[in-house]
Amino acid sequence: MNNKEKLRDLLIDVFLLEDSEFHFDLKREDVDTWDSLGVVSLAVGIQETFGYHLEPEEALTISGVQDIIKILEAKGISFDGET
Amino acid sequence: MYILTEGEVNTDITKLDRCWAEIATFVFLPDRSGVSKEWVEKVVRQLPELFHKNHFVLFTSGSTGQPKLVIGSRERAEKLARVLHEVQDSEPCRQAILALPLTYCYAFVNQWLWSRVMKRDLILSGGFKQPDTLRKALLEANDALLCLVGAQVSLFTTHYGHDISFPGIIRLHFAGGPFPQNEIDIVKRLFPNARIFNNYGCAEAMPRLTIRPLEDSDEGSNIGKPLPGVELKISDKGEILFRSPYQAVGFYDDNGLYIPTEEDWISSCDLGEEIENGYWRIKGRSNEIFKRYGEKISLPQLLEIVYACWSGQAAFYRDVDISGEGGHVLILSPEPTKEQVRSILQAFRKNYSRTHWPIRVESTSSFPVLPSGKIDKSALSRITDRTIHWRQRS
Repeated sequence: MNNKEKLRDLLIDVFLLEDSEFHFDLKREDVDTWDSLGVVSLAVGIQETFGYHLEPEEALTISGVQDIIKILEAKGISFDGET
Repeated sequence: MYILTEGEVNTDITKLDRCWAEIATFVFLPDRSGVSKEWVEKVVRQLPELFHKNHFVLFTSGSTGQPKLVIGSRERAEKLARVLHEVQDSEPCRQAILALPLTYCYAFVNQWLWSRVMKRDLILSGGFKQPDTLRKALLEANDALLCLVGAQVSLFTTHYGHDISFPGIIRLHFAGGPFPQNEIDIVKRLFPNARIFNNYGCAEAMPRLTIRPLEDSDEGSNIGKPLPGVELKISDKGEILFRSPYQAVGFYDDNGLYIPTEEDWISSCDLGEEIENGYWRIKGRSNEIFKRYGEKISLPQLLEIVYACWSGQAAFYRDVDISGEGGHVLILSPEPTKEQVRSILQAFRKNYSRTHWPIRVESTSSFPVLPSGKIDKSALSRITDRTIHWRQRS
């Protein structure tokens, strides 16, 4: 499983998304379950899945899936070339 | 006063008849009550003289798992059996088939005592501990009355498959837990000729308080109207309080002996409310409603969501999340498929905010049960045979 697939599965699991709801341009405001407790779940999930500890202030700045990818890529976790 | 055990009665039911006919009060104990005979004898010695004759004592652990002895008056119980005969339209019934432990107050009064008072046959079946004997008894039933708890409905399918029905059952009663509204099509198929009733009460009521024929409502939490003479009201905390001419005359538990007066209101420990036209609705045990991150969580309501998309057994137990906040874990049996777990989680998402979602979704091969056949909720957190299917990470 590549990193894109891992991230997709994580977000579906944390926010209880239907498979058809997910896409990589998904915004926080599009997801009714992306609430404050959801942010905490997401941070724990990223730590478990990618080994990166998201700081609370960093987690709060995330406005969509692309922001997560940018943060992780800045930490050397590559999403390049993955389909 | 003396002790009569379930094992003694199971080998010879006439012992119970003889005890009832004698003046001395007897204690009727389940074989696996979790309390010693010495404890019971010690309690019995403390009971006032007036309880030493013409009474009977039953053991209950209710839904709390805490042992309690409930003292009943034989005169009151026989009156209740006659009232139940009327309100449950039991005259056409020629027999009662016992599928629950006889030490369970519900089975004791609704079935054994009813059959004794109304001079009907009582057919022992061993319940689901002896599924073949139970099936035979149900297939041979002849205008029979049957009492079940809702959790038993899924056992019919598990043991007997989907192609069996029991036309000889003409009255079917549920009590002792949530009414199986979501499985009502299965119930009707199993018992095509039965009038079906939801009964509500507790051991302290010895045991019935209300009754609702199935056709009066399609809401499982609707417990119907109070029996004649029974008064209900709601306490400041939202608990159902009752006064009944048939209620137990005393209780003994960790807090000692309590003998209610005629003026006293007794708590059912269930939250509820009166709805229109004299009907009442139950909202769950008072310890099954709590606050999580400031939001009120009602486990019985959440269970309805689960049962809308899950045909197995389900229960919640309390735990804390990684922040130390109290929450609830959903445990299912048998093991669900990945799709079934998704379906349950989607139902939570659709109906409730995240604080209402379970901390985890788990499954086990079988639930621990109390002697009454109800799920032993106090033992759920200690199950070792469990699989985690999903968890909130917060």
